[in-house]
Amino acid sequence: MRVTVYLVLALLVLLTSFTLTSCTGNHRKQLTLAVVSGVEGEALKQAATDYEKQTGIHIDIAEFPYTNLFEKELIDLKAHTGAYDLIMLDDPWFPRFAHEQVLTDLTPLLKNRGQSGPDSDFVATSLALCRHPYQTGSLYALPYVGNSQLFFYRKDLFEKYLMKAPLTWDDVLAAAKTIQEKETAGANGGQVYGYVERAAQGNAAVADFMPIFWAFGAEMFDANGKPAVNSPQGIAALEFMIQLGKYSPPGYVSFNADDVGAHLLQGTAAMSINWPAWISSFSDQSKSKVIGKMEFTTLPDGQKSGQAEIGNWLIAIPRESRNADAAMDFLLWATSAEQMKRSALRGNPPTRKSLFQDPELVAKFPAYPAQLRSLESSRPRPRTPYWNEIENAFGIFLSKANSGDLTPEEAMNQANAEIEKILQRAQ
Amino acid sequence: MPALFLAPAIAVLLALSIYPLIYSITISLQQETAAGVTWGLGNFTRLLSDNFFLTALAHTFVYAVAALTCEFLLGLGLALLLNKQIRGRGVFRASLLIPMMLPAVVVGVIWRLMLNPNFGAINETLKQFGINTGSLTWTASPKLAMLSVIAVDVWQWTPFVFLVLLAGLQAIPQEPYEAALIDGSSRWQTFWHVTLPLLKPSILIVLLLRTMDLLRVFDQIFILTEGGPGFATETISLYIYRTAFRFFDFGYAAAMSFVLLALTNVISAIYIKFLQAKETI
Repeated sequence: MRVTVYLVLALLVLLTSFTLTSCTGNHRKQLTLAVVSGVEGEALKQAATDYEKQTGIHIDIAEFPYTNLFEKELIDLKAHTGAYDLIMLDDPWFPRFAHEQVLTDLTPLLKNRGQSGPDSDFVATSLALCRHPYQTGSLYALPYVGNSQLFFYRKDLFEKYLMKAPLTWDDVLAAAKTIQEKETAGANGGQVYGYVERAAQGNAAVADFMPIFWAFGAEMFDANGKPAVNSPQGIAALEFMIQLGKYSPPGYVSFNADDVGAHLLQGTAAMSINWPAWISSFSDQSKSKVIGKMEFTTLPDGQKSGQAEIGNWLIAIPRESRNADAAMDFLLWATSAEQMKRSALRGNPPTRKSLFQDPELVAKFPAYPAQLRSLESSRPRPRTPYWNEIENAFGIFLSKANSGDLTPEEAMNQANAEIEKILQRAQ
Repeated sequence: MPALFLAPAIAVLLALSIYPLIYSITISLQQETAAGVTWGLGNFTRLLSDNFFLTALAHTFVYAVAALTCEFLLGLGLALLLNKQIRGRGVFRASLLIPMMLPAVVVGVIWRLMLNPNFGAINETLKQFGINTGSLTWTASPKLAMLSVIAVDVWQWTPFVFLVLLAGLQAIPQEPYEAALIDGSSRWQTFWHVTLPLLKPSILIVLLLRTMDLLRVFDQIFILTEGGPGFATETISLYIYRTAFRFFDFGYAAAMSFVLLALTNVISAIYIKFLQAKETI
C-alpha cells in the first residue's frame, strides 16, 4: 500500500513539474509565428521585429528548414496544441491543411474589420490558392511571396547565333541543339550545354516537367477526377523532356534546383526553367560568370500557351490559435502594400499587382514585368490533399524514364496506376 | 523504500519507451479513410501489394549484404595486418578511425560533392588519367548509384569493424599459437583453427551491430541520393520517413517499422544461434 502511495506521489511531482514549465508567460500579449528558414522567412522575421517596435506585441519566431516545416506544422496543428498563431505554408501543402480543417476561416475576421473580402490588389492566381476549394471556397490564408516559374536563357548566345527569343518548346529544342554543337569553348573552356533540366525524383522532376506537360495539352486528372497522365499528350510531353535531356549536363537525372543554378551561374548551360529567387545571384560578382547575359521570360508555348507552375508562400492562422484576432491584425499588416514592398526589397516577389508595377521596384528588379505575366497566367499544382504522395510517385517515374530505366509509355502507365492507388486509398 | 527510488526511472521508461511502443502498435492497426478510422490488419496487407515497399525492401537487403561483406572482409584484413609489429602502426590505426568519427550527414555531403559528375573531385581526378568520365555519373546513374552509396558506407564503417576485430585479436592469448607452432600447423591452418574460432565473440558483435545499422540506414543515402535516381537507392527507412512525415500516413509507416523490426530480430537470432552454438563445442 505504501509503495503505491509513493509511486503516485512521484508521478504527481513529475507531472506538475511538466505543467508548470509549459504554462508560463501565457498572459503576456504575444504571437508565435512559424517561418521557413531562407529568404522568404527572413523577410517575415524582419517584419515581425518592426511590428513589435510599433505595437509592443511580442512575436516569437519558430524557424524551420523547408524539409521539416510541413511535418512540424501539421503535427502541431493536428495535435491541437495551439502552439502557433501564424504559419507560413508552401502553397502545394495548403489543400492538405484545409482538408484537415486545422485553419481559421479568415472571412469573419475580415468582416469584423468592415471588409467584405480580401484586397483586390492581390494577383488573382495567388489569391485563388488561399481558398478551399480552389478559387471558389472559403478564404483560409493570404499570399505573401508570389513566386512562379520563369524561363531563363542566355541572351548573348541567342544573339551570337542570330536566334529569336524562344517562344515555343520547338524553338527551345532547336536552340539547345545549335548552342551545344557550336559552343564548345564555353566559360570554363569546355562545353556549354544547350539546356539544363532537373529530374531528381520528387519535387524537382515534377516541377520541371509540369510546364511541358501542360503546354503539350496533357492534364493530370480528367474531367471526372481520374488520373490521366498516360494520355497520348502526356507521353509525348515526357518524350520531349527526354529529348531535351540530351542537351542537359550528364547526371541531370539527379539534379535539384541548386545544380541547375550552379550550371547557369558557371555559364555551362544556356537555358532552363527556374524560380525568380535565383535572378539576383546572376548579377552577383562573387557567384556569377554570366553577369548581364541572362534574360528572363514567360514559359514557352506548345499546342497550348505556356503556363508556369505557381509556387507561393502563404500565411495562415491555425484554428487552435488562442490569439486569432491579434494574428489577423499582424497578417493584414504584413501583407499590406507598404509592408510587402519592404519584403520585396529584401528579395521576395510580391503578390500584389501594384507592387509588380511599382517604379522603384521595377528599377531594382527588371524581371518584374515578366514575373507578373508569368504569375497571372500561372497554374497551381493539382489541388489535392494527397499532393505530396502523388508528386513523390509521379516524380519517381519521371526520373526513371529520364534515366532510361523505363520507356516514356511504361513510366506514364505505371505512374497513372500508382496515382490511382493513392486516390483509391483516400476514398 | 526501494520502490520509491525506482519510481522516477519507471515513470521515465513508461513515458518515453513503453507508451510510444504501445501507441505505435495501436496506430499500425488503424487506417484513416474518408468514412473515419477503421481497425484491422489493412496496413499489413497493403504492404504485400505495395511495389514501392517491396522494392525498397529488396534494396535494403542488397545494400546490407554487399556493405556487410565488404566491411567485414576489409576490416578483418586490416585488423590482421595492423595486429603485427609494423612501422607506423600507431599512425595507421589512428588515421583509419577518422571516417568513423564523422557524422553520417557530413560524410554524405563530402561524398556528394566528390561524386558530382560535373564539378566533383573523383571525375576530375579520373580525367587527369585520361579516363573518359562521360558515363560515370555515380549517384545519378541507376546502375552506379547503389554501388556509390555502398562504397560510402564501406568507407565510413570498415574502421569500426577493424577496431572491434583488432581488440578481439589482441585479447587472444599466445599459448594456442605456440601450441599450433609446435604441432607444425601452417599459417593458414593456424588462422582457420586458432584465430577464427577465438575471434568468434568479436565477429558476432560486429556482425550484429553492423547488420542492425545497415538495415535501418537513412542519413547518408538521404543526403547522397534521397533514394534516387528514380527509386534506385530507396531503402525501407527512407520510405518509412516519407510515408510518415511527407504523406502523413503514420499507421502505414508504423506497420512498415514493425516489419523491419521483425526482420532485424530474426536475422540477429540466426547470427547468435549460428555463431554461439559452435563456440560451445
